[in-house]
Amino acid sequence: MAPDVASIERLAEEPLAVDPGAIEDEFNRIWRDTAAEGYDSSSVRLRVLNLVAVGRGDEAVAAFDAAMEVLPQRHPCRGILALIDESTPRLASSIGARCWRSPAGGRHVCSEEVHLRAPAAQHQELASAVLALLVPDLVVAAWLIGVAPDDELAADVLDAADRVFLDSARLGDPPSALQAIAAVARKHEVEPTDFAWGRTAGWRELVAQFFDGDDGLAQLRRIETVEITCATPRLTSEAMLVAGWLVSRLGLSLADLSCAPDRVEATLYERTRGVTLHVRAAPGGPPLPLQHVRITTPEATRSLELHAESGHLHVRERWADGEARRTVQATPEDDASVLNRSLDALGEPDVYAEARRAALALLGG
Amino acid sequence: MTATASVAAANPLRAGLRLPRTPQACAVVVFGATGDLTARKLMPALYNLARERMLPTGFSVVGFARREWSDEQFRAAMKEAVAKFSREPLQDEIWDSFARNLHYVRGDFADSGAYVRLGERLAKQDHAHGAAGNRLFYLATPPTAYAEIAHRLGEAGLSRGGPDGGWARLVVEKPFGRDLASARELDQALGMVFRERQIFRIDHYLGKETVQNILVFRFGNGIFEPIWNRRYVDNVQVSVAESVGVEARGGYYEEAGALRDMVQNHLLQVLALVAMEPIASFQGDAVRDEKAKVFRAILPIGDVSAETVRGQYTAGAILGEPVPGYRQEPNVAPDSRVETFVAMRLCIENWRWAGVPFYLRVGKRLPKRATEVAITFNRAPLQIFREMAGIAPAPNLLVLRIQPDEGISLRFGAKVPGTRSDVRPVTMDFRYGTSFGVEPPEAYERLLLDAMIGDATLFTRWDGVEAAWELLTPVLDTWAGGASPLRFYEAGSWGPEEARQLIEREGREWHRM
Repeated sequence: MAPDVASIERLAEEPLAVDPGAIEDEFNRIWRDTAAEGYDSSSVRLRVLNLVAVGRGDEAVAAFDAAMEVLPQRHPCRGILALIDESTPRLASSIGARCWRSPAGGRHVCSEEVHLRAPAAQHQELASAVLALLVPDLVVAAWLIGVAPDDELAADVLDAADRVFLDSARLGDPPSALQAIAAVARKHEVEPTDFAWGRTAGWRELVAQFFDGDDGLAQLRRIETVEITCATPRLTSEAMLVAGWLVSRLGLSLADLSCAPDRVEATLYERTRGVTLHVRAAPGGPPLPLQHVRITTPEATRSLELHAESGHLHVRERWADGEARRTVQATPEDDASVLNRSLDALGEPDVYAEARRAALALLGG
Repeated sequence: MTATASVAAANPLRAGLRLPRTPQACAVVVFGATGDLTARKLMPALYNLARERMLPTGFSVVGFARREWSDEQFRAAMKEAVAKFSREPLQDEIWDSFARNLHYVRGDFADSGAYVRLGERLAKQDHAHGAAGNRLFYLATPPTAYAEIAHRLGEAGLSRGGPDGGWARLVVEKPFGRDLASARELDQALGMVFRERQIFRIDHYLGKETVQNILVFRFGNGIFEPIWNRRYVDNVQVSVAESVGVEARGGYYEEAGALRDMVQNHLLQVLALVAMEPIASFQGDAVRDEKAKVFRAILPIGDVSAETVRGQYTAGAILGEPVPGYRQEPNVAPDSRVETFVAMRLCIENWRWAGVPFYLRVGKRLPKRATEVAITFNRAPLQIFREMAGIAPAPNLLVLRIQPDEGISLRFGAKVPGTRSDVRPVTMDFRYGTSFGVEPPEAYERLLLDAMIGDATLFTRWDGVEAAWELLTPVLDTWAGGASPLRFYEAGSWGPEEARQLIEREGREWHRM
């Protein structure tokens, strides 16, 4: 729970039969009890979206719990966790509520949670229960927690989703993960929001900032070299998406390419201008999916470097006779924070889709 | 409220990002750098902008004031201020990076030599930080120093930006003049040195998220604008209630009073946002053009005695605690006739609002702190429930709460469960704090960022300031002439009885806050 939040939490201890009517009745009982226990009229039940998380095992439960710790503060919702759990003999559910109140006072705002569990063989029943529990007329955001989009349960849920959240970094190596996401976009006609892309938002903002204004724009057209490094044994989705983003936004075409699991070397061009791109995996120290971005023009070198210990980004611009440096806070990159931020935005699907396509091209796809 | 499309087209990397653009490398020069405004508002705002990656790498701050401080003393004082007043805790590593670019120039505002030193310092920084001669001059000083500082900046050649073709902008705090003549005089003095597009008159109300939300509410939704006119609206009220007195600002308040301090700027700005016509985009001066049209359409107040009420608080109690009267406050004359409360009725004579009264109300030592816009709609044309229930249902009321507990509520009638057809008013409530749990940025963060970017949408333009003074200067003159008596009200009440009469004589009542 975030430190500035007062919480009450209650989850029914006994699994409930999965009867949507009974679940709604149970929610009503919780709200009555909440009022009777002194949270009174200062409690408000608020839902601005349906969040349906699909996952397996303890990792999914932990991720969903962490998200529901922070999400209702900004996006009060009905959160539904649809969990494939082979230890559960039949479809079962439990429900709960999470309430928070800002330290400034005001009402408790309460979000609702439903946990649904079933063995894989009952994925259709599980999906049907999810659909019955969606609050009408609200956006349905489907979140796949380490589950492939072609998983049977995931596919059923994605059909009902307005927005899809997943993490290419958890779907295998970058080529197959980005291909899988492209397949979701084609099949379900919804451009997914990729957490790996969300984690690069702060980096992209800072890179864009280097080139604001008329002078910056002129410099943008004079980029000679781009170097991107991740501190991992193999290339990451984050590093490739930043590379793809730069290539696509700058309208660069591929002239020459050499790629391996731990590096990409490319020569790109736009009209008569050539740009060299190096993306490298350089393990050592704590693993960082994106550690360093350096962009060189004839006049200056601009770089961003993440310091693992402090979590701060060091920003540096060097030119012939001077240098400017600063340190800024890196954007929080945990799932809950990325999800929270991503729900704020209506999305940047075209920019992401183009970056993903360019990344795949750089990976030889 | 920025022009996103054209900027995104300019820098292709900006497409889809949180901000359409960030400022170019620049130096912010704060005059009055050792003062309260710098410590409480400006420096925490700049630090938070830096922390959130919204400032460019070549950004720097130069403090300018009379005190004999070194760069290090300035940094230490600002660190203390940020630690105390920032909405987010101070992080040492980020502060150290930010503080490297804080500098201090000692000088009197009237000393030409000090401006030469300032210019040299800025040139040195341009070179060191790659700031390209971009300068934002922020006047966090008493208004009496504005003209002098502007003149000296011009004299030193600093009003045109640096030699590399940079920009120079001037930010001035309210009050912008104390009547029409002094405002024109000040405008003329600034205009000798800076062009209108370089002058950013700050009204921190316009930086508040909830004030900006008035435009989103009106123009981002399809269902409200069609009824936002004289056919459906009975009256509009803009109220700013403060429970505090003048506290340590007695000296300032004796010169200002509630009309100058609040009505001329904050209340009229809010009124303009409520009353203005829709805009097609946020490009250029669209919002300020529409606001100016509203100001021009406000009818002059013909009978000041009948259309305005001025009051002053006497001793009373706030939240059960006894509080002194205004005349007993520090630095206030014992026979002061300065108003701490104003109520007035305005009419906007245009197609949309003809015949709809706009009531403004502002006061200190009222029972609670609240800023609200209340829009009362006409009653249903046929009162069929009056006969059945014996009482007409209350008219629909839309309240835009600007502070505290920011939000929007809509009152409507609902049937009381039972066999009778009793109607009871109920409300639908939206609360900013509960739907968006994060703390909104401080108004100064938004306004400083916009000034650095060069987006003047949320700043007041001279024609708006002039129109406000044209409207209110006759009121000040009439009050000064004694034609409209000063009314007294007990601290902890909702103002003088005459304020109630002002609205009740038209069969209306003040919205209960």
